[in-house]
Amino acid sequence: MDLARQAQAGDESAFAEIVRRYSPRVFSVASRFFRQRSLVEEAAQEVFLKAFTQLGSFEGRGSLEGWLTRIATNTCLNTIRGAKRRPEFTVSDLTDDEQQWLDHHSAGDGEQRSVENSLVATDLADRVLSVLLPEDQQALLMIDGEDASIKEVAEATGWSESKVKVRAFRARKKVREAMEKLLHRR
Amino acid sequence: MKDKHIIDVLDNTSIASLSESELSAVQAHAQECESCREAYEAARLSAVVLQSRAQTKIEPSPFFQTRVMAAWREQQAVENVPAMLRLWRSARALVSSMAVTTAALAALTFLLPAQTTPLTDQTASMISAESVIMGQGSDDQETYDQVLSTIYEDDDDAR
Repeated sequence: MDLARQAQAGDESAFAEIVRRYSPRVFSVASRFFRQRSLVEEAAQEVFLKAFTQLGSFEGRGSLEGWLTRIATNTCLNTIRGAKRRPEFTVSDLTDDEQQWLDHHSAGDGEQRSVENSLVATDLADRVLSVLLPEDQQALLMIDGEDASIKEVAEATGWSESKVKVRAFRARKKVREAMEKLLHRR
Repeated sequence: MKDKHIIDVLDNTSIASLSESELSAVQAHAQECESCREAYEAARLSAVVLQSRAQTKIEPSPFFQTRVMAAWREQQAVENVPAMLRLWRSARALVSSMAVTTAALAALTFLLPAQTTPLTDQTASMISAESVIMGQGSDDQETYDQVLSTIYEDDDDAR
């Protein structure tokens, strides 16, 4: 709270300390939405500048990290909403590597962990996630990807717990159906 | 659960959060039910790719803090400029162009000679409203009788 007050009073070093301390957290949130470094950095910068102008509204009830997480989530969601939606994925878009990954993993041969394998899996994740609304993506990635609880998602986003549950259910169903489609048409 | 379809269970919760007994029950049902087997396979692979996606995190670069501080100083500098000056800066182009346009119009109005010629009384009388309405020509216009007499006079001369 002191750091926030000092920064609000125009103390440059206090603001610099906030940026240094909470950058990893803000980058972590932005990485859920973007994979390009330039986009993540742009979003993170916007988060800190916005946070500075809104420091007056931070009452210190929760943690500064939680408050910044919420600003980061909303900033990224707004950026994504403003951008053009990606076209819905099609099976013909699958690369050879992605098809191979699905072949191996559906046959139960999924234990090969390598950087390359992870990249292919991440691409596939983006492909199936593209059928979802950004808010649903966020909920599903946090719960199924990061093992976050419903409560944690609710705190990070400002949504009610029932809303998080509904979003996660809807997202999980759509992603499963999209994956089934990919597995059928391989 | 063996005889009960498991698709709702798969959509309600992540596979990772199922207990061991729940997971074995789901797998047992999936082995006997084809549609549930496909759903389970898709849910399992979805969980794998989502976990892989969630692990893809970008770390801040060493220059990020410097970049944000530079942007912050720039923002501060803009906010510290007095409001009237900021208003003038944003409206300067518009005000200047309006002033130039006004000066140009004033120059055209006062400095250039008038180019329209006023109507003379004679011209005005020739196209007076009465003459148009009554179909009357002007005094020097020949009447029908005058034309006829001129023709007959020409015939008499010819004879």
